Amino acid sequence: MDLPSTPFVPAIALRWQRNVSDLREYQVIRDGNVFQSGLSHSTIFSSEFERAQQLKEQLALEYHDKNVEEVFSGEEVGMESGSAFCICSQHEIRNPPPLHGTDEQILSDLTLIHGIGPVTAQRLKNRGYRTIRDLLQHPKYRKNAAYLLSHVEKKAAYFLMEWIGRRHPKSHPLNLAVAGSIEKEGFSFLDIETLGIFSRPIILLGLAHWQNNRVHIRQYLLRDIDEEPAALEAAFSHLHKSTAFVTFNGKSFDIPYLQERAAYYRMSFPNEVVHFDLLHFSRRRWRDVFPNCRLQTLERSLFGIERELDIPSALVPEFYEAFLTTGSPGLLLPIVEHNRQDVLSLVHLFYLLLEESECQ
Amino acid sequence: MSVTSVLDQLRLDHRFRDRIAHIEFLPPREARYGNLNPPLPEELEAYLSTKKIRLYVHQTRAIEAIRRKDHLILTTATASGKTLAFNLPIFERMIAEKAATALYLYPTKALTNDQQKAIRELEAFTGLHTGASVYDGDTAAHQRPEIRARSRIILSNPYELHYILPWHYKWSTFFRNLQFVVIDEAHRYRGIFGSHFAHLIRRLRRICNLYGSSPQFILASATLANPEEFGHRLTGVPCNLVDEDASPHGRKYFIFYNPYFDGKGDRSVLQETKEVFLSCIKGGLQTLCFTGSRRLTELISRWSRDEAMRTFPFYSNQIAAYRAGYLPEERRRIENRLKEGLIQGVVSTNALELGMNIGSLDAVIISGFPGTLISTWQQAGRSGRGVDDSLAMLIGFQNPLDQYFMQHPQAFFAGSMEHAIVDQTNPYIATGHLLCAAAELPIQPERDHPYLGDSLQMLPLLQDCHLIRETPRGWIYAGKGRAVDAVPLGTLSADTFRVMCEGTLLETMDKNQAFREGHQGAILFHKGETYLVRELDLEAKVIRVKEADVDYYTEALRSTDLTVLEEENEIFFSDFSLHFGEVEVVEQYTGYRIIRGNSVISHAFLDLPPLRFKTKALWFTLPERTIHRLENECGELDGGLHGAEHVLIGVMPFFVMCDRWDLGGLSAPHFPSTGAPTIFVYDGCEGGIGLTEKACEMIAPILETGYSLVRDCPCEEGCPACIYSPKCGNENHPLNKKGTCILLEDLSAIIQGERSTTTPECAPLVVNIDQ
Repeated sequence: MDLPSTPFVPAIALRWQRNVSDLREYQVIRDGNVFQSGLSHSTIFSSEFERAQQLKEQLALEYHDKNVEEVFSGEEVGMESGSAFCICSQHEIRNPPPLHGTDEQILSDLTLIHGIGPVTAQRLKNRGYRTIRDLLQHPKYRKNAAYLLSHVEKKAAYFLMEWIGRRHPKSHPLNLAVAGSIEKEGFSFLDIETLGIFSRPIILLGLAHWQNNRVHIRQYLLRDIDEEPAALEAAFSHLHKSTAFVTFNGKSFDIPYLQERAAYYRMSFPNEVVHFDLLHFSRRRWRDVFPNCRLQTLERSLFGIERELDIPSALVPEFYEAFLTTGSPGLLLPIVEHNRQDVLSLVHLFYLLLEESECQ
Repeated sequence: MSVTSVLDQLRLDHRFRDRIAHIEFLPPREARYGNLNPPLPEELEAYLSTKKIRLYVHQTRAIEAIRRKDHLILTTATASGKTLAFNLPIFERMIAEKAATALYLYPTKALTNDQQKAIRELEAFTGLHTGASVYDGDTAAHQRPEIRARSRIILSNPYELHYILPWHYKWSTFFRNLQFVVIDEAHRYRGIFGSHFAHLIRRLRRICNLYGSSPQFILASATLANPEEFGHRLTGVPCNLVDEDASPHGRKYFIFYNPYFDGKGDRSVLQETKEVFLSCIKGGLQTLCFTGSRRLTELISRWSRDEAMRTFPFYSNQIAAYRAGYLPEERRRIENRLKEGLIQGVVSTNALELGMNIGSLDAVIISGFPGTLISTWQQAGRSGRGVDDSLAMLIGFQNPLDQYFMQHPQAFFAGSMEHAIVDQTNPYIATGHLLCAAAELPIQPERDHPYLGDSLQMLPLLQDCHLIRETPRGWIYAGKGRAVDAVPLGTLSADTFRVMCEGTLLETMDKNQAFREGHQGAILFHKGETYLVRELDLEAKVIRVKEADVDYYTEALRSTDLTVLEEENEIFFSDFSLHFGEVEVVEQYTGYRIIRGNSVISHAFLDLPPLRFKTKALWFTLPERTIHRLENECGELDGGLHGAEHVLIGVMPFFVMCDRWDLGGLSAPHFPSTGAPTIFVYDGCEGGIGLTEKACEMIAPILETGYSLVRDCPCEEGCPACIYSPKCGNENHPLNKKGTCILLEDLSAIIQGERSTTTPECAPLVVNIDQ
């Protein structure tokens, strides 16, 4: 292709810019149009939209002369692909309850052994086989029972999750019992903010970990799009060390998105990691209690958390893009705050679900 | 009755006799068979012997090429066994290599479904389970992961592949093992669509490279003038050609039928089509009739049924219409009833020439030249069962191209096929796909140059527009949404207007079409109903219509203005020169006419903003002596200039492979920047697509053909067959046939005189033109 005709070439770029900017990623709908809001996730009620637009202008103005480092207390982390910016915070959270009962919970479910259905399980119980340990004496199920037992004793969390998954739906509370096989430092609580629903940069990765009985939240924030590879590298370095991910809707969104971004940059993403997607457990537990099972609804109803500076998720890309064009880091405040609260609520919700499943 | 008796009847009947402009006799041909060494694996040989199939020479040659791991383009006739020629060696490889995968691409969904059946039959027989599956927009979400993970043969279409590539991570197993990419009906990928497709294939190859595979490309195509060049341009790799057809066929009579033989035409071309269609059916021939539009398909089938009801009711329910928009089950039913002989006649749109799984019939009627020799021969190839006699008929419409063929049948029968244009350097298209590529995998210019070429130079500019961002891992897509959504494959225009009738969506149109056909007051046709446009809402991109039972139609009037931006090339001849370069075209729809029957009953004004676009054009000014000749012999310039512009646009599609609607033109007796009488012809789409560029190279045969067309036209003052244009923005005024003839004669002579020395590469495309 020849590119000498200078007036033409920028026109080509501008033409595609126009095409791209015409793409719509959400739809603003009339307040109270609940029917339509249920059809798609990317709808925003018009009053919410108006409020967010005001907030956007206000924040852009208020912080226009600041830079990111002045607004957020964070540190630069040097990675192979450049530097990533990490915002750290620590949180005192009631220590998680000791999870002693979980192994017994798993072992008391005879149906986990291949060939035993609910009817056979009941018959076996009547005959005195109360747990899988008892089945070691059973001529037919002995071998299988020993195999499973050895993995429970080895605390082979991923194996157990897969095993349980073959017998029960993914929302079954028994899946939560696998958490008992994992050290609390092995959990990564995880939530990402992206520029779209697919194949666009991840602008913020929020991770929470237990460290010395406190929850440390690290948020890798892109100060510009080109920091994405470094931010991913930094976040992946934590994920590669973890035994389990805890997410909200991560099975459908966060994890596939991360995998896709990792493949995009040719980075390795950990596989064979236990994954607790709290959306599924929450739906099963609270579907009939609350009007919906969105994280915000749950945290308000269960923990009384009210968010102050929040924007609808669908508007996150727009705020970030406004940050890129205006350079005002104030526009990042609601995104970072939204993400931090999501991660924190994940931690609370996870332990509440664990407690409840143990009480059953 | 037989083909010959129907033929005799047409020749004797006074209703048809005079209208038969030409009958070409195509002699029968014997089969030539080939041998394979080594033979195919046992299970495939068993398949062939059970089905009593012996391989023709072209099939064994194709198999040998595929075995050698060559890329291949196969251009033998319809029903010559092309599909088998590539399915056999692909299965052979799949039997030997247990992980090998193949991607089959078809231009339509209907074809994909038909081919899935054919492959599954081969699977069932050989016991090789490839899990062959269609994967397209209709594939259910829950089936997709399974297909991605397990199917070794995927049948899909370019639109779907465009959306698959960004998800390559999910397809990694498939891409890693990809050994074959089959591109069936490859001749469909020409012009703008072809250029998009060429980039799509380069994106696919880039992704395959990432996963360490480098698939073989196998193209099956109709006959073209430039198959090897076309294959290379489309795929980016050199393709071996297998084009010698060794399959047998019977005698074929190809009739050119001209309703305008007398320059007038007593009956409409629709009535004529209906008459010959019914004659064939009554003569006992199973007949397929191709038409140019949905509306004609519906009208001809309805009129034929109505008349059959009156004159020979036995046949009235043996006539069916078959077109896009029918449900797959309906189409399957028609196909089956045809095969069972329960239907004698089918009327179909041109668009469905490939989507139809009906085998061969006794007769094919093509109502109106479908635009290319390629399509005409493809459609004519539908008639002829085995070695039996068959009939094909082309009915000439009242336009220059059709009439040219009616008057010069040798240009059709001896002429070579069209060149298929693929322009992978079109900067607009290249840049769009650069964005898509960046969204699939960060671009590393050194590594990606073989796939993305010089369009890589656009990266910094795209970064300035915030569409692309350079990172330490390469250039990444940084725009909104999905790049593939911003780059639609079919057309460059992303502006889509919706036609709404009382809250119901009737159809969609692009912006140009909306201005032309959807302006306020326009009459729109949809599924045989007429609608009146109440409002063209430019902001909301909505055309609001209401049902209206009217007996008139409308035609928009357009004025066009043009500015030369940059001259890129000049070709000198002794007295004049041909220029090529970039222009800006400003089109304005100023009003419309209301027409009842053949007469204009009134005019109305329109207030619409101008449509601007930049494109490529060729232009020339008239030599002094031609100006003098025109002034002396005609007393004016304008009519000849305007007529010559129409003629050039009328014949150019034949040389550069496009629709006449893909080209625009402008002629001015005093064009400001040249200061002389000037004719422009430009590419009708943004950025240009190589049409006028190619026309520059072929200007000699274009002028020559144009000149003989006008000279040989029997009309006195000009007619729709020569200098009138169906899309003139100036109501075909002024026009002067004599002037047109003088102008074309002069220019043609100037170029003729020099061709042998200065432009040896300009071989005439049409040979044996009646002089």
